[in-house]
Amino acid sequence: MNPILDIQHVTHSFGQHTALQDISFSVKQGEVVGLIGRSGAGKSTLLRCLCALERPQQGHILLDGVDLTTQPERQLVRIRRRIGLVFQHFNLLTSRTVAGNIALPLQIAGCPRREQAGRIAELLELVGLKGFEKKYPSQLSGGQKQRVGIARALAANPTLLLCDEATSALDPESTNSILNLLADINRKLGLTIVLITHEMEVVRRFAQRILVLDHGRLVEDGTLLDFLRDGQNNRTLQTLLADIRPSLPAFLGETLVSTPPQGHHRAIIRIVLSGNGASEPLFSALYEKFGVQTALLQGGVTTISERLSGDMILSFEGDRTEQALDHLKTAAQNMEILGYVPSHP
Amino acid sequence: MSPLILKLILHSAWQTLEMVVASTALSVILGLPLALFMIATGPQGLYRLPFAARLMGMVVDAVRAVPFIILLVLLIPVTRFIAGTSLGTEAAIVPLSIAGIPYFARIAEMALREVDSGLVDAVRAMGGTRMTIIRSVLIAEALPGLVTGVTVTLITMVGASAMAGVIGAGGLGDLAIRYGYQRFNTTVMFGVVVVLIIMVSLMQVIGNSLARWLKH
Repeated sequence: MNPILDIQHVTHSFGQHTALQDISFSVKQGEVVGLIGRSGAGKSTLLRCLCALERPQQGHILLDGVDLTTQPERQLVRIRRRIGLVFQHFNLLTSRTVAGNIALPLQIAGCPRREQAGRIAELLELVGLKGFEKKYPSQLSGGQKQRVGIARALAANPTLLLCDEATSALDPESTNSILNLLADINRKLGLTIVLITHEMEVVRRFAQRILVLDHGRLVEDGTLLDFLRDGQNNRTLQTLLADIRPSLPAFLGETLVSTPPQGHHRAIIRIVLSGNGASEPLFSALYEKFGVQTALLQGGVTTISERLSGDMILSFEGDRTEQALDHLKTAAQNMEILGYVPSHP
Repeated sequence: MSPLILKLILHSAWQTLEMVVASTALSVILGLPLALFMIATGPQGLYRLPFAARLMGMVVDAVRAVPFIILLVLLIPVTRFIAGTSLGTEAAIVPLSIAGIPYFARIAEMALREVDSGLVDAVRAMGGTRMTIIRSVLIAEALPGLVTGVTVTLITMVGASAMAGVIGAGGLGDLAIRYGYQRFNTTVMFGVVVVLIIMVSLMQVIGNSLARWLKH
């Protein structure tokens, strides 16, 4: 199947500053892709190129087979109608009601007035704001405004939904509900979604694929699980991942030594589990087989791309710790011995 | 106060209103497109013609630099050409409007500049044409500010119309000068001042509440 979005060698610069350098990737129909990078990584420029607001100096952007970079401005105006955009600061017109805001893309697309009301009611129901038609944006909370923003982005039946830091201006609770809504929309409508963000937390839960931008380059393309497994040598990725990974508490870190000390001690390990490994009674098995006692120090099991995944720091104590670790290596996606601490008798 | 004086004041008040409303209307009708032109051709605008923007800005500033009393005299030939005469209430509308157009244009420009550029981007990304952006974003979002601008222009025109007495325009200002000042008629003077205060206050109150209502 042809990709819905195909980016080929896109390069764009502003004067001396190269914002994007040889970016290539493609997005399949119905896929949810997270585009992550720190500020200044080129996210905004790439977004502006993707929604046809900016024409990249080199390379091609194909949306559903149509090359945006070669279309004349008149055609681009039409193409933009097929891309839904959700903004960090909502960008709702304060002069219009909720219904008026959602109606705008319909009016632009030339949708007959009598069909608009029905479509608006349908969209408001989808985003969970039934009966909010006559309210003004100033009467809504941040989360509600973003729901209107999403309804507006969906109004003209876009082929692609771009979310630009859509949850960055929201409190954690609203962030959660907006992310759930987007996941829901992806499931219900099969809509392709590109999430642009600087927070790993945003893409953690339902982005099927993550692209990492750094200094205008695409440095990683994979799933979060791939990154947790073997992305440890990439500095950018590490700092981005640090937000969602458990870290060893400082007081434990201070007593950590790299070789097993004499006498009673515990091994401190970091382990990444996914799929079955995350839900199996792994630790009781370790106790039964090797007599090793396991304690969870940090982390736990979370959902990554709608699969259970464990990312945790554990301590192992017992005479046959080494064998237990060897056994674990076969079950875990990634295991790292952080060090040893003396244990209190 | 004799009925005659009252009639005189009311008649002049009507003339003032006529000049003020007509010239403000013309200032808005012609000043708003001017403001849109300056915004649209400006550095972040939809059409980006920096030279045109700068030229228009200079013309606007040049007209605004001339004191109204001088503009009034300077424009006599223009007034005669447009109105057929350079005397009277209707004729005064010409110089008042010519002073009012750049005045309102600058105020409207400020109000339009206040509109969040993110909204323009949003509608552009939606595939809105430039006309849609001007109508649905720039004008619609700046409307409360534009209404405040109309109020300010109305009140400025009340002040300016007083000077139009120089070209025989009549109105309250003219009445106050001729009867109140030159003939020492204190009653007329006070009457005019009271009517002016009421007129300006009403304009301000109506303008404010309209702007507030539009602000949502």
